[in-house]
Amino acid sequence: MRERDVAIAGCGVISAVGCGVESLRAALKNNTSGLHANERFTGPRFQTNVVGAAPLEVPDDDNPAHRLASIALREAISDFRRSRGDENLNPARLDTPHVVSYQANPDAPLANIPAERIGLVLSTTKANIDALERLSAGRPCSDSARRHLQPDLLAADLAAEHGARGPIQTISVACVSGLIALMQGARLIQRGAADAVLVVGADHLSAFVVAGFTALKALDPSGCRPFDRDRCGLSPGEAGAAVVLVRGDLAPPPAITLRGWGSSNDANHMTGPSRDGSGLAQAIRVALTAAQLRTDQIDYVNAHGTGTPYNDAMESAALRTVFGATCPPVSGLKGMLGHTLGAAGIVETMACVLAMQERLLPGTPRLSHAAEATPPSLVKTPRAVIQLNHVLKLNTGFGGMNGALILNCPS
Amino acid sequence: MASPFITARNTVNNADVAAARLGPRFGRMDLTSQFALLAVESFAAHFDSMPRERIAICLAVRAGSLATDLEYWKGRDAAGGPSPTLFTYTLPSAAIGEIAIRHRLTGPGLCFVSGGDELLAEATDLIERGEADGCVCVFANVVSPGLVEMISTAPATSAHAFFVRRGKPHEASSGSDIETV
Repeated sequence: MRERDVAIAGCGVISAVGCGVESLRAALKNNTSGLHANERFTGPRFQTNVVGAAPLEVPDDDNPAHRLASIALREAISDFRRSRGDENLNPARLDTPHVVSYQANPDAPLANIPAERIGLVLSTTKANIDALERLSAGRPCSDSARRHLQPDLLAADLAAEHGARGPIQTISVACVSGLIALMQGARLIQRGAADAVLVVGADHLSAFVVAGFTALKALDPSGCRPFDRDRCGLSPGEAGAAVVLVRGDLAPPPAITLRGWGSSNDANHMTGPSRDGSGLAQAIRVALTAAQLRTDQIDYVNAHGTGTPYNDAMESAALRTVFGATCPPVSGLKGMLGHTLGAAGIVETMACVLAMQERLLPGTPRLSHAAEATPPSLVKTPRAVIQLNHVLKLNTGFGGMNGALILNCPS
Repeated sequence: MASPFITARNTVNNADVAAARLGPRFGRMDLTSQFALLAVESFAAHFDSMPRERIAICLAVRAGSLATDLEYWKGRDAAGGPSPTLFTYTLPSAAIGEIAIRHRLTGPGLCFVSGGDELLAEATDLIERGEADGCVCVFANVVSPGLVEMISTAPATSAHAFFVRRGKPHEASSGSDIETV
């Protein structure tokens, strides 16, 4: 391992394809789409009823952001402890939220890593925005649900519940939040502020967000189709996703590490991406430089791939700019998960980790006919590969934000 | 390597925002973005001393975007639905986009929902790691009257900003606003 390496040493997730990492692994292998008709709420003026809803245990939970984050954190911590031989959980028991057997132990969450050396970085765009909807409509709302309208208080409570007594930060950078939170967790470890950081992303499905994207006419009525010639918008989703980042020497080998990253701003438009992809290209180049890698050393690109006409065209342009005619295999997962906002960067990075473990190029669920000018290396359905050493994960967001993260899996 | 240092700082209040003449775009922004943008305005000349892609923006917002969230959600029953323009600003990081657009800053961006205590340390870290040569740090706190009861806090409208850069203090202009990190 390189000096100051930061490894991903535990994963947990709840998303549209199920609860638990194994549900995501199965969806990746089978190219499953978790997009379905929204059964939680409806609105006559919503542009679509197709969403990526997670199987929340309590359908009318008034604090869904907290629940999503907690489920993901419990599994990620269990996963870390199991990998260290500290716990003997059967992954099959993680299929549904109510059978997760691990109980958070605030005194020793990560075995022999002192709680004071464990940080928590929360990534969210809207935290528990459900509480604002409830309070505005005069519906019941618990004190904790109201409290978790404020993302930093949600982060503080998650840290207390899961035994992170080191630095606590709340990152909210639009749809790049998850990727930026991973970068920030790694920075905290690299500068010695923590030995481990729980990076958790959570955003729940809300009328607030669906109404907003409807107002922007940014939703695909039939469900998103990233990189498809007929694509016309995104699909709202929700997820809780958590990873345990640790100092390299604390991770059981072979560890997948965060090799390098870059971020940038288009400085162009608040909602639309730059047409030429120059901002994202800048972020990719910074990441490649930080990782000390050449373009031909990237084995796979996991795109942001929202399914909006402008985003996917911009990403294709950025990849052409950086990789030229020899773009590595590319795919996008929002046809599987929906757009999970603040959780997107984390759950999609987790998918990259699973792909590296499984030596699998993930497909692009719901893609039928590739649009013109998309990379010819676009992967429609999953396929096995010999090795994925370096994977590039991309996300972009409102406010012109771009992020690029490179993962390394030892041969 | 010489420590990064603060080379400029500024604070703005309601009167400053009311008096600001920054064009029609400014008038369309939410209040948090207006405060943040105006706080940065006075030291924008410092950005000319380095490549724009090497300037990061670190924003901290005490109450996230809740004041704008509330205003946006009030429009949910309007004939055309809630405002798409306001929806754009229902992200705590929206002000980063506005600052980046106005000053053509294409470097990294970080947005914390916090009281801003980490801004200086994070800016210093970005510079010392080589991810940026300078960093615009902004703290904004906007709590509208409608929000007071919802999150049990006092009304607020304020922002302050400072610019941290790589280099040696003697390179900067002299004045009481300069300090070593």
